[in-house]
Amino acid sequence: MNDAPPKPTSIRRRLLIFLISSLLMMICGTAVVTYSVAVRSANDAYDRSLLDPAFDIADNVSIDAGGAHVDLPQKALEALVYDQVDKVIFQVRSPANAIIDGVADLAPPPAFTSEQFVFFDTAYRGEKMRIAALRTPSGLVVQVGETLHKRNRLVGEILAAELVPAILIACASIALAWFGVGRGLLPIEDLRSEILNRAPRDLRPLDVAAPKEIAPVVHAFNGLLEHLRDANTLQQRFLANAAHQLRTPLAGLQMHLELLLRRELSAELRAELARMHGATVRASRLANQLLALAKAESAPPQGQQFEIIDLRSIADAAARDWAAKAHAQQIDLGFALERAVIPGDPLLLPEMVDNLIDNALRYTPAGGSVTVNTGCDDGVPFLSVEDTGPGIPATERSKVVERFYRMAGTPGEGSGLGLAIVREVVDRHGGILEIDSCDERGGTRIRVSFPRNRRVEARVA
Amino acid sequence: MTFGFGNTANVSKTDRFIVRILVVEDDALLAEGLTSVLNRAGHGVTHATTGRHADLMLRDEAFDLVVLDVGLPDIDGFEVLRRLRQRHSSSNVLVLTARDAVEDRVHGLDLGADDYLTKPFSVTEFEARVRALLRRAIATPARWSIAGLTVDVAAKRVRSDDGPIDLTPREWALLELFLTHPGRVLSKDQIGESLFTFDEHLSANAIEVHVSRLRTKIEPAGMHIRTVRGFGYLWEGGDE
Repeated sequence: MNDAPPKPTSIRRRLLIFLISSLLMMICGTAVVTYSVAVRSANDAYDRSLLDPAFDIADNVSIDAGGAHVDLPQKALEALVYDQVDKVIFQVRSPANAIIDGVADLAPPPAFTSEQFVFFDTAYRGEKMRIAALRTPSGLVVQVGETLHKRNRLVGEILAAELVPAILIACASIALAWFGVGRGLLPIEDLRSEILNRAPRDLRPLDVAAPKEIAPVVHAFNGLLEHLRDANTLQQRFLANAAHQLRTPLAGLQMHLELLLRRELSAELRAELARMHGATVRASRLANQLLALAKAESAPPQGQQFEIIDLRSIADAAARDWAAKAHAQQIDLGFALERAVIPGDPLLLPEMVDNLIDNALRYTPAGGSVTVNTGCDDGVPFLSVEDTGPGIPATERSKVVERFYRMAGTPGEGSGLGLAIVREVVDRHGGILEIDSCDERGGTRIRVSFPRNRRVEARVA
Repeated sequence: MTFGFGNTANVSKTDRFIVRILVVEDDALLAEGLTSVLNRAGHGVTHATTGRHADLMLRDEAFDLVVLDVGLPDIDGFEVLRRLRQRHSSSNVLVLTARDAVEDRVHGLDLGADDYLTKPFSVTEFEARVRALLRRAIATPARWSIAGLTVDVAAKRVRSDDGPIDLTPREWALLELFLTHPGRVLSKDQIGESLFTFDEHLSANAIEVHVSRLRTKIEPAGMHIRTVRGFGYLWEGGDE
């Protein structure tokens, strides 16, 4: 497991490497073929002009008693073999292979085949040369040779004419491929952002128009999501069932303990039963909270079962549910309710408010106060619960919304689930949960603000 | 406890001093607890464990009060309630629901439940709700004793141990409202609506004044009306 993670391969890089290497091979192949064609073309073009002076010279050789000699004045001979670019040489040999005229150090031509003349390459004084050799019917051998500058220039020009466009096309192809791959991969980028922008628990299948090539990936991914969704549903159903099944017997147990506590009992037994009663009440509450959490988590993602809800009416219902308990704890429970209309889940929002109030009552000592506010702040709907309890230190604020987290030294018997439920519900509504102090003296204010919704505003206006 | 008619069979139908209550609850432990509380209060209790059975019993007999659990094994409590109301029965119905099932409360009240309690509830809470419903179910007693107060409903007179207490008509109406809603928070809006007359619209301030006057008159006798700040009032109900 210490292996470094494999370097991610890049489709673009792989494609470009493949493209560049094959283009390179093609260009090399073209170069080889073009070169040989060019050399042949150059020879075809220039060999004739070597043969002509050879014929001219041969025509002017006369053979007499004194032997053979060229009947041309030196000037005319020079003009015959003159060239602007290349150095031209000639040689005339007698049928007896004696050098009659021209350069002495040129080797005799290779064997003539059927032809009367032959072209070949050779080296002469360290320079490459092209030689045209001619044999007259009388047995004279005339060789005219020239250096290869003209020919090389022509070969170069032909090569350039063929290869430069090919290289340009190759470069253009590589550039096009570079951008084309980027363009072609756009759907993958779309897919990526679709996945990145997902809410963490949103397990709905991806809904992207995937091209044929990545459709299988999307399909497989959606299959995985479906498995996760199923597993999630099963787990939540189990939790909800377990909590639900626990609740009724706990309610029965609580009732019987209360009935027992009404009897004449010894102080010792009473204290024991009261402890059992307390534990039962806590267990009931925990079962309820687990159920609430399971419900909040399995609720369809944002908005699917939302209704237009006034937070004021939810706080209103909470006032009825919690007033007696607050009085019993000698806590002044107060309300300042203004209209705050949001699209929201009609089951989860009361759960959120209940847990906020329950939490505040739990940590506020007797004689303190808890105040619930609803309204709109600059058009932003909010609900807040303030208490005069000990407050939550700034460093703990992000942790208290974690499940089962309880601040060290917290009095009371909280489950550590209340604020986790609140956060879950707030997340479902795209809201913001803020925890701070009421004032410098302490206390806690938990404020939940919801996204402003102009459509709802227009509807309720 | 099994369901049956045994424990109510000897109660004459004309005998209105014994209240007849049907408890519909499938959990044995809870049903036993409820029955025991009600028996101790001197009521005649019958128990049904299934919705179908409850429905049959309700067809046969008239009960003053039905304590109805929503989650039943066969037909649910709502269906029992719906059939009951279809027969134009005037029995009072107290629905027991799970705490998180807000929709149940609303649904239940829509179907004609008179009140609801969310599980788990305390015995005291249960007793207070039952008392309030029975007060509606049977002829209002001529006299109520609450704490140190004696309330004569017919004559609209209130006495404390120290002598008669004079109440204005508004204060009397308020007192009656609290007496019939023990353990219930009454918002100022609700109070305003209940005390509404054509010639006078009661503002929140006016309600505060009336409640405050009523308090000074009845608090010395031990009846406490609590304030829910910014919202309304609550009389938690006392021993009668």
